[in-house]
Amino acid sequence: MPKVSNWQLGREMEYPYEGSRPERQFCMIMDTNKCIACQSCTIACKSTWTWGKGQEYMLWNNIETKPFGFYPTGWDVNVLDKLTEQSWNGDVYEGKTLYEAAPEGERVLGWTPDEEDWNHPNLGEDEPTGDADTVPYMADKPHSMMWMYYLQRICNHCTYPACVAACPREAIYKRPEDGIVLVDQERCRGYQECLTACPYKKTMFNLETRVSEKCIGCYPKVEQGLQTQCTTACIGRLRLTNFLSKPDAVDPRKPADYLVHVKKLALPLYPQLGLEPNVYYVPPVHVPVDYLTQMFGPGVEQAIETYNSAKEDPELLGLLMLFGSTERIIDTFDVKDGVARGYDGEGKEIVAVPLREPTFVRPLEFVSELKGEQVTGYRHNT
Amino acid sequence: MSEETTITRRDALLAAGTVAAVGAGAVGAAGVIGLVGTPEQAGEPELVAPYVTGGIPLDDPGADAWNEATEAVIPVQGQQLVPPRLPYAGLTELRARALHDGKTVAFRLRWEDEVVDDLDAVYRFHDAVAVMLPMSPGAPPAITMGAKGAPTHILQWRATWERDLAGKTGVDQIYPRVVHDVMPDDVLPPDTADLYWVGRSVGNPLSQTERTTPIEQLVAEGFGTTTHLPRTDAGGHGVNDGSGWTVALGFPARREGIGAPLEPGSTWSVAFAVWLGHQQNRGGRKHYANWVRLTLAPKS
Repeated sequence: MPKVSNWQLGREMEYPYEGSRPERQFCMIMDTNKCIACQSCTIACKSTWTWGKGQEYMLWNNIETKPFGFYPTGWDVNVLDKLTEQSWNGDVYEGKTLYEAAPEGERVLGWTPDEEDWNHPNLGEDEPTGDADTVPYMADKPHSMMWMYYLQRICNHCTYPACVAACPREAIYKRPEDGIVLVDQERCRGYQECLTACPYKKTMFNLETRVSEKCIGCYPKVEQGLQTQCTTACIGRLRLTNFLSKPDAVDPRKPADYLVHVKKLALPLYPQLGLEPNVYYVPPVHVPVDYLTQMFGPGVEQAIETYNSAKEDPELLGLLMLFGSTERIIDTFDVKDGVARGYDGEGKEIVAVPLREPTFVRPLEFVSELKGEQVTGYRHNT
Repeated sequence: MSEETTITRRDALLAAGTVAAVGAGAVGAAGVIGLVGTPEQAGEPELVAPYVTGGIPLDDPGADAWNEATEAVIPVQGQQLVPPRLPYAGLTELRARALHDGKTVAFRLRWEDEVVDDLDAVYRFHDAVAVMLPMSPGAPPAITMGAKGAPTHILQWRATWERDLAGKTGVDQIYPRVVHDVMPDDVLPPDTADLYWVGRSVGNPLSQTERTTPIEQLVAEGFGTTTHLPRTDAGGHGVNDGSGWTVALGFPARREGIGAPLEPGSTWSVAFAVWLGHQQNRGGRKHYANWVRLTLAPKS
């Protein structure tokens, strides 16, 4: 089996195909700290792509509460259990990937959810965890509370996709121009090998057309330089659709490169599985590090430290404020004189956001104020 | 994994005598073994197709006409030559009969399967059977559905397609109590609504539910290369009596545009495959029979 380079593991690994990393990789950055699980993204995706008959159960995008939320049920704990021990030595992964741990006769170590596992997309919603005997539910300090957080999930458009590896018909492919992974709707014969292989469980079977479908990275929008539906519908402004450069061609002016490779603030989801997933998460700052390390790899502590000190880093703060500021894909950015600016591929400014909104002091116009009396409340102008 | 159905790479090499590397799909994936067999190597059992007059009952696998043919018991085994493999076999044999009338070559295939699987759904697969023929008589190509430059002609019957013919397919059949909200076809013009059935709108033959035959014809040049032939001149019908399926299928002997015609008096090789839906058989996870000799009796 060919050896490919997986920068997230800090080493080479086996993969059924020769590596062919795209020039630029479609990716998404998710700031988990800002999500309120309103599911606006889920509905934006659903109402755009999967409201057809046969797609009823499909959520190409979903938000689940961790640690008890799953769609489908148990998607991550099942594969982690099968993979057994996953150990890191610094930034180098020493365990096996799903390809290296594949049983004889299979290309990927996979598992298949039961039909009903797809029926509870909001399982575990808002369920917190922690030691209830020792930690009060409503604690004095926010970070000593029992914890839960929201995980935003789309297809990871992996550099080394398990769905591609498992498809015996080569009906799933990765676009060389942007790395978006697509199921060829003409070629698929509905074997559902991809459902078993994908550890993130993001390929789904259409009950009417009898072939597999998946998140298409909103490629018709991306081709026009626009961010995805789930990104632009996000009211928490926590998502950024962007492109990641090759690991040896990192450009700190590019948002994803800056967040993933330069600041190492945004981390991949279960990198130890070996797929080099391309949705990157700013980890939640209030969750036990052990849990987060299992989910996002060894960079968690540094990422949280970086995030907590973002207020002292105008460049980082500025970039985070560009999230949700424009429908267009930002090619490069800079932060100067208190203003974060995003530029398109030709260097033309497409958005400018001040780091600090201007403050307007309302003139003294109320009778009580004019009299010099203390203002005890506010009144809305109507 | 049962011992008796396990084929190792070494076994395959020894059985074949000749090794042909065929398109593996995945570069560097587990080696794909091409078995280039001959009718002599295939040995027993042998299938003899009597010449009949008065038509072949493709729509009735229980018709008396099938009794004119001797039934051959053909051993099948789990496909373990290449991934994705069938980890265990759920079937050991297929019973086959063949007839021809100079115009049509037909088979009646029977195998044990008490569970009817005729709907495709989430990790639910269909029962099916397939017949594979070389493009010309003589030494057949690799049992792995041929090899690059050595194609095979395949006819596949699926239980799903019997159900399609009866108009009983899709979500409403999979979940009979399903309640739909507004669907694209309720509110959009057909051309636009069809976009939500992408597989169907781009012409994927698997996604079509409007069909005239439960038999699909294909050509293949090795595993993973099956290619649909847009023709409807093969016919057949399958019935499950509670103990197993009996399927009749036939096709024009001339095979115009596909391969050499199957002339009366000629000898061919033929191979079979069976899928048990309830055991998650699909694609390469199937039971297959090695090449057996098929003799078409001369016109009497």
